[in-house]
Amino acid sequence: MGLIDKIRSIGRVAEPATEAPAQRLPAAAGLGGSVQVRHVDAGSCNGCEIEIGQAFSPVYDAERHGLRLVASPRHADVLTVTGPVTLNMAEPLRTTYEAMPRPRMVAAVGDCARDCGMFAGGYGVLGPVSDVVPVDMQVPGCPPEPAAIVAALRSLSGR
Amino acid sequence: MNQVATALGVAFAVAGVGALAGLVVPARVRSAAAGAATTGVGLAGAAAGLCAVSGTSWQVHLPNLLPLAGVSLAVDALAGWFLLLVGGVAAVVGVYTVGYAGQSGHGPASRTALAMLPVFVAAMLLVPAAGSVSTFLLAWELMAVTSLLLVLSEHRHSPAVRTAGLWYAAMTQAGFVVILLGQAWLAAAAGGESFATIRAAGPGLSPVVSGGVFLLCVTGFASKAGAVPLHPWLPRAHAEAPSNVSALMSAAMVKLGVYGIVRVGFDLLGGGQRWWWLLLGALGVVSALYGILQAAVATDLKRLLAFSTSENIGLILLGLAAAGLWAEAGQPAVAGVALAAALLHAANHAGFKSLLFCGAGSVLKATGTRDLDELGGLSRRMPATTALVTVGALGAAALPPGNGFVSEWLLLQALLHQAPGGGTVMIVAAPVAVAVVALTAGVGVATYVKALGTGFLARPRSTAAGRAVESPRSMLAGMGLAATVCIGLAVVPGVAAPALDRIATGLRAGSAPLPSSGVDVRLSGVASTISPLWIAVGVVGLTVGFAALARAVGRARRRAAPWDCGDGPLTARMEYTATSFAEPLQRVFDNVLAPEQDVDVTHPAESAYLVRAVQYRRRLPDRIEARLYRPLIAAVEKVGRAARVLATGSVHRYLAYMLTALVAVLVAGVIR
Repeated sequence: MGLIDKIRSIGRVAEPATEAPAQRLPAAAGLGGSVQVRHVDAGSCNGCEIEIGQAFSPVYDAERHGLRLVASPRHADVLTVTGPVTLNMAEPLRTTYEAMPRPRMVAAVGDCARDCGMFAGGYGVLGPVSDVVPVDMQVPGCPPEPAAIVAALRSLSGR
Repeated sequence: MNQVATALGVAFAVAGVGALAGLVVPARVRSAAAGAATTGVGLAGAAAGLCAVSGTSWQVHLPNLLPLAGVSLAVDALAGWFLLLVGGVAAVVGVYTVGYAGQSGHGPASRTALAMLPVFVAAMLLVPAAGSVSTFLLAWELMAVTSLLLVLSEHRHSPAVRTAGLWYAAMTQAGFVVILLGQAWLAAAAGGESFATIRAAGPGLSPVVSGGVFLLCVTGFASKAGAVPLHPWLPRAHAEAPSNVSALMSAAMVKLGVYGIVRVGFDLLGGGQRWWWLLLGALGVVSALYGILQAAVATDLKRLLAFSTSENIGLILLGLAAAGLWAEAGQPAVAGVALAAALLHAANHAGFKSLLFCGAGSVLKATGTRDLDELGGLSRRMPATTALVTVGALGAAALPPGNGFVSEWLLLQALLHQAPGGGTVMIVAAPVAVAVVALTAGVGVATYVKALGTGFLARPRSTAAGRAVESPRSMLAGMGLAATVCIGLAVVPGVAAPALDRIATGLRAGSAPLPSSGVDVRLSGVASTISPLWIAVGVVGLTVGFAALARAVGRARRRAAPWDCGDGPLTARMEYTATSFAEPLQRVFDNVLAPEQDVDVTHPAESAYLVRAVQYRRRLPDRIEARLYRPLIAAVEKVGRAARVLATGSVHRYLAYMLTALVAVLVAGVIR
């Protein structure tokens, strides 16, 4: 079976897009509908990473809403952070945040990022993300569904 | 009295005084005396050249100066161009030498090394001024011997210097023999040894004689010019000689090989046959490509510059070949453009290469190494040297607004021109040549980005580079002088147009003038105009304008540390080295360069899956040297060993040889 045939037989896998958010976050007004996302795993169990990966997969297709994962904080508008911030990742998280151009935003993805979740009080845990860098938006869930992550990020792009 | 005569007289007198001063003055002021004398000789030579290219010609025969042939000097516009070139380079190098070989200097300050410098320059001035075969050969040999002494001046430091000296001596003498044979044959066939006699008889010579003479002379001159495959002495001698000598040799001496080809090919033989120029063009193409490829992968700064000399000589030879072919095809206007391109490129190369070799000398003095992998970070410690080298590198990369750009543009114009009468050969050869020039220019940019980027920018990769200090003022002044000339040639090359006209008209290749308004370079015969001044203004203006605009309308500026992936500070080990920068190019041209590389991975005793250390070694032997010269040297050595049977040490045997030889000569004389 050729590639073209394969593409045709599989058809469209993307979920139909829902309505665009009514209003976008005021802090994201300067981004003009194009949001570059850098991700930092600050100590997560990787469950949230799988869901973020799904959010940018063909099924949830976050890129059609103007969202894009980038490889360096120098290129990023938004930092997604997962997991409770561990002692070893606190400093890298701070330097990553420092390296971002302004304006910059931080999204804490998952319950651990919001309040350390089930890891609260662990010997290697420093605290939630908001203890280390200012957090602009939160996505609850353990792990959050891809659709929830896409919906949260769409409130930045407004598309 | 004739101005050219006065200036040349002053030059030779200053050279004599300078050589004497170099021998007798105390070591404390020796470098200043020798440097001043070299500059004096250079300035006087340049003045003579300037008079000659402005239309004053001069000739003289001094029958009593030397036995048998005497000395004849004849200076015309062509000789003037090369006098100007040699003189200019010598003036720059003289100023540079004062600091380079001075008390705290790094260069050799021995009596020989300094006293020989003005003599070498005087010999180089004598070559274009020579007006007869015997004077020319004498000057050529004087130039070869003095330059050899200068190459060897650091022979105590490393065995590599002695090897380089041996290669240079062998090749330059072999080249001299070939030129001697060619010119002697020419003089015999023309019935006189003065250039004027030969010039009159030249075009009437039989094609076999003139072809043979051309072949012999081009072989000798191309080996002096460093054209591939006659180049192996060049990267060794240029790399191992003191840097002021490298500058003189690379910028001035190799150009006299070009002078020889122009003088014999265009002037004395008066044009010639098509195969001469096709052969010369092939030599140019091979030199340009092989030279720039070796330069691109070289990690030794001076070796890089030396191979880049081969490349530029290749481009100059290509220009000469185009001039010869177009003249032969009855297109004097295009031939004039090609000849102008070649001569202008010779001058441009002299400008930027003297600057770059002096820059390499400053780096060597400041850090003690010329290995680009060990350098880096010099822009902070040596800002003035870095800025000056940038001017040279811009010229060598042939990008506007550098000075190499104008002459390469002229060369491309001459090659792109398709005229009737060129025939099938030209239709095939010209696009190939254009492609070669384009490829050479591209790889050349990569080469000089590497030299400047890995050598001077980023952070120092060795403690020696981290401790570098800026060069003394006289070295900077010498380099500044060269940089000024480079910028002048880049911005207003039109000033050279009248001189180039005069040369082209003087040669019987037959060329139309090259009108110029000083700012524009307009080509007659080829519908093209270029204004280097406006290009320079445009490039500089746009750069400054964009920078100012970005400052004016951009957001507030913020200082940020370089992004290191959040993991520890960046170290110099993470930078591009010269080797790693050139690696992709080396991969692309793997078949041509045939690098020898080893990767050794050592494992710890516990597990073969873990890595303790990785060692990478790369050698880039000169393939032409290995394939062509090594077997030749081996064969010569074999013959030499075999001949030892003849020399047993017995005096009786030697006397018998002499008697036999005498009898044989007498018998041969009687029979005849």
